[in-house]
Amino acid sequence: MHGFHGAYLRFDLTSGRAQRIPIPTRVLRAYLGGVGLGTWLLHREAPVGVEPFEPAAPLIFSFSPLVGTPLTTSAKFAVVAKSPLTGFVSDALASSQFAIAGKRSGVDAIVLVGRCSEPSVLVGETLRPTALWGRSAAETEEALRDEGAVAAIGVAGENRVRFATLSHDGRHAGRGGLGAVMGAKRLKALVVGGSRRTTLADPAEVRRLGRDLARRSLGKATAKYRELGTAANVAAFERVGALPHRNFSGKAGASVDSLTPERLGADGQHERASCASCTIGCEHRYGPDGQRVEYESLFALGPLCGIEDPEIVLSAARVCDELGLDTISAGGTIAFAMECGERGLLEGAPRFGAGDDLLTLLPEIAHRKGLGDPLAEGSRRAAERIGGGSLGFAAQVKGLELPGYEPRALQTLALGLAVGTRGADHNRSGAYELDFSDRVDRLYGDARAARLAVGPENRAALLDSLILCKFLRGAIDELETEAAELLRAVTGLDFGTDEIAASARRVVAARKAFNIREGWKPSDDTLPDRFLEEPLPDGPVAGARLTHSRLKEMVHSYNEARGWSREGFLPPAAMKDLLLDA
Amino acid sequence: MGRPKAWLPWRGHPMVAHVVGVLGQVTDDIVVVTSESLDLPPLPARIVRDELPGHGPLAGLAVGLAGARQGLSFVTSTDAPFLTPEFVTAVLAPGIAAAPVAEGHVQTLAAAYPSERGAAQARSLLEAGKRRPLDLLEALDYRPLPIDRLPDERSLDGFNTPSEYLAAVYEDGAASATVEFIGQARKLIGRAAIEVPVGSLRDVLGHAPASAGLVEDGRLAAPFLVSLGGRDFVRDLDVPIGPGEAVVVLDAAAGG
Repeated sequence: MHGFHGAYLRFDLTSGRAQRIPIPTRVLRAYLGGVGLGTWLLHREAPVGVEPFEPAAPLIFSFSPLVGTPLTTSAKFAVVAKSPLTGFVSDALASSQFAIAGKRSGVDAIVLVGRCSEPSVLVGETLRPTALWGRSAAETEEALRDEGAVAAIGVAGENRVRFATLSHDGRHAGRGGLGAVMGAKRLKALVVGGSRRTTLADPAEVRRLGRDLARRSLGKATAKYRELGTAANVAAFERVGALPHRNFSGKAGASVDSLTPERLGADGQHERASCASCTIGCEHRYGPDGQRVEYESLFALGPLCGIEDPEIVLSAARVCDELGLDTISAGGTIAFAMECGERGLLEGAPRFGAGDDLLTLLPEIAHRKGLGDPLAEGSRRAAERIGGGSLGFAAQVKGLELPGYEPRALQTLALGLAVGTRGADHNRSGAYELDFSDRVDRLYGDARAARLAVGPENRAALLDSLILCKFLRGAIDELETEAAELLRAVTGLDFGTDEIAASARRVVAARKAFNIREGWKPSDDTLPDRFLEEPLPDGPVAGARLTHSRLKEMVHSYNEARGWSREGFLPPAAMKDLLLDA
Repeated sequence: MGRPKAWLPWRGHPMVAHVVGVLGQVTDDIVVVTSESLDLPPLPARIVRDELPGHGPLAGLAVGLAGARQGLSFVTSTDAPFLTPEFVTAVLAPGIAAAPVAEGHVQTLAAAYPSERGAAQARSLLEAGKRRPLDLLEALDYRPLPIDRLPDERSLDGFNTPSEYLAAVYEDGAASATVEFIGQARKLIGRAAIEVPVGSLRDVLGHAPASAGLVEDGRLAAPFLVSLGGRDFVRDLDVPIGPGEAVVVLDAAAGG
């Protein structure tokens, strides 16, 4: 078989036993790779009801048939586990040489189960104790670099902070607390490498397709990311009332002018970089330390906390990277604590706009010291502990903190956040694409918009399984058709467009099925009361409102458009299609 | 029109605010009927939602008249840029159902209706399958008011197309709008904003340097998106841009 190895490595950290387990070809065809294959493996490897920090909970690194090919943006991998933040499926993607090296180890995925008897690193299939516990992910990576490509956790992961990241090559599998799952296994780092490449069915055709895709990746559709980076969202979102301020209160907040890419780079301290195997080059670094920063970090550590000083925001982003904290959840949880303090619900809480408070609290969270300990649990668990109605303004869905998209101003995405299987997540939904168009009324989500939201979510699932970067989507007209073409050339299997579209739907359904298995209920698919009871008070879309009943109607329409029950349960035929007994 | 009439700029305000302002010179009991999906700017009026969308203006009349507190109500559509308080007062003057007649046409949406009786009658007509406001006026035994006996007959002028709206804007005096550039558009053009004469979106964007490539093949280029005043997103280049309006050109790609 071309493109795939046809097996995964299952490594038991308790016993040190490694197994190479075959993956049926029909499963590889059905799930492709990345989050798709990772989700299928999660169904297979996770005992029903397992707690994310239990030894039996699997931590899955999933590659894809395109990894290692000359296709632009294909050097990606997915990390999949049961999230300690949500208790449901979580998958995080990242791009680096780790993906290429991991696939060269000779498997399509690596599944880690068990728990090390002491802090350890896993190099290939050799487990050994490490003195790197307590070091940053970057320091760990540096120490192990000669042995292969490294994915490591920081202090936050060691301390099971529920939104800890997993890092490699300065990049992060950020959302859902997957670093904490690795920390619970007392595994500091996974080091991969090898020389077992997969073959290509039609190398000349892959090269031709690769050149064509690379050419398009340099066009206008990606110019924003290339020229300005995602930080360009700051000014745009602010202008259209979609940039959240002060814990999503909707109140006018700090100026964001200082956080635009034009201003961040005004002192000349700006450089561009790329992920491995990427021609787009969306990475922008600012400041004296060359801090890589994305829109989500700027939003979460800036206006969401009422902070406008770019030095503070860049420092906070750097501290998060060093400690291994997801910037969105870190900023979101601290902003929540700030509002609790403002309402007199939390003694010693940080204050909106206080950069020193922010910079002090981040290490306390990572080390679980003082106020940092309850906040290390994330905003939902913190709200349950604080009480006083604070759950209504804890900006999270299923426990995962919201990204920088104001739901009342982007109501198709509001639906996407509510039904998201990994919680409040914009990247798996993609529904903001509809809001940022003339196809829906972004200020009045309805059943039609909800039905349309299925499309971007399917495309996101497909891109995350192939894996290709979502920033390419504007350069691809017919994603399913082109994906089939790429996969035929790589694997030699006769992939068709319909089959690819079915795979995308299946991946979404498989994630939902996992959540149902783990106790999901229809009432989980909603937004905090703040978004459903308070109109936006300020800004260009002041008055925009969403209600419980309208969101519920949208959720029902979305479920029906997926062919699920109105409440969101999968019918038997959809369950059978998941090949969970393969 | 390509965008809600209620939000079209007119003399420094959204059109609906302008009309409410005119009515406010006659009465402090103003009811605005809108659809469930359309948000309105802050108004000194009670907002009620059309409970029977798709049933035409008679359904809106039923709910609006039911919400009125005064015995007699003047009813107008949103697109009444030249409406005057004197005209409203004159139509209300008979104290009964009354409607201007111009060129043989009864102007049902610039007319006076008894509030309580009108609401009840409108509901009955709707139940009987009627949809026309004229049916309501006839049921109320309205008094025709020849337009030449009313002041400010231009109060009846409305608009149904972008060109009609823009013609009214031009007639009302020279006017300009602002085009703001954000993100890639700003980088390409090198300016944050330019002031331009009002016109269609196509006209307005035509004042930006062609090298920026905002318009390609007669359409808004795919990498860009336009927001009107930070609210509605549009791509239709025929959409009219009104006086004082901010046209925001931003990147269509919003991921990150």
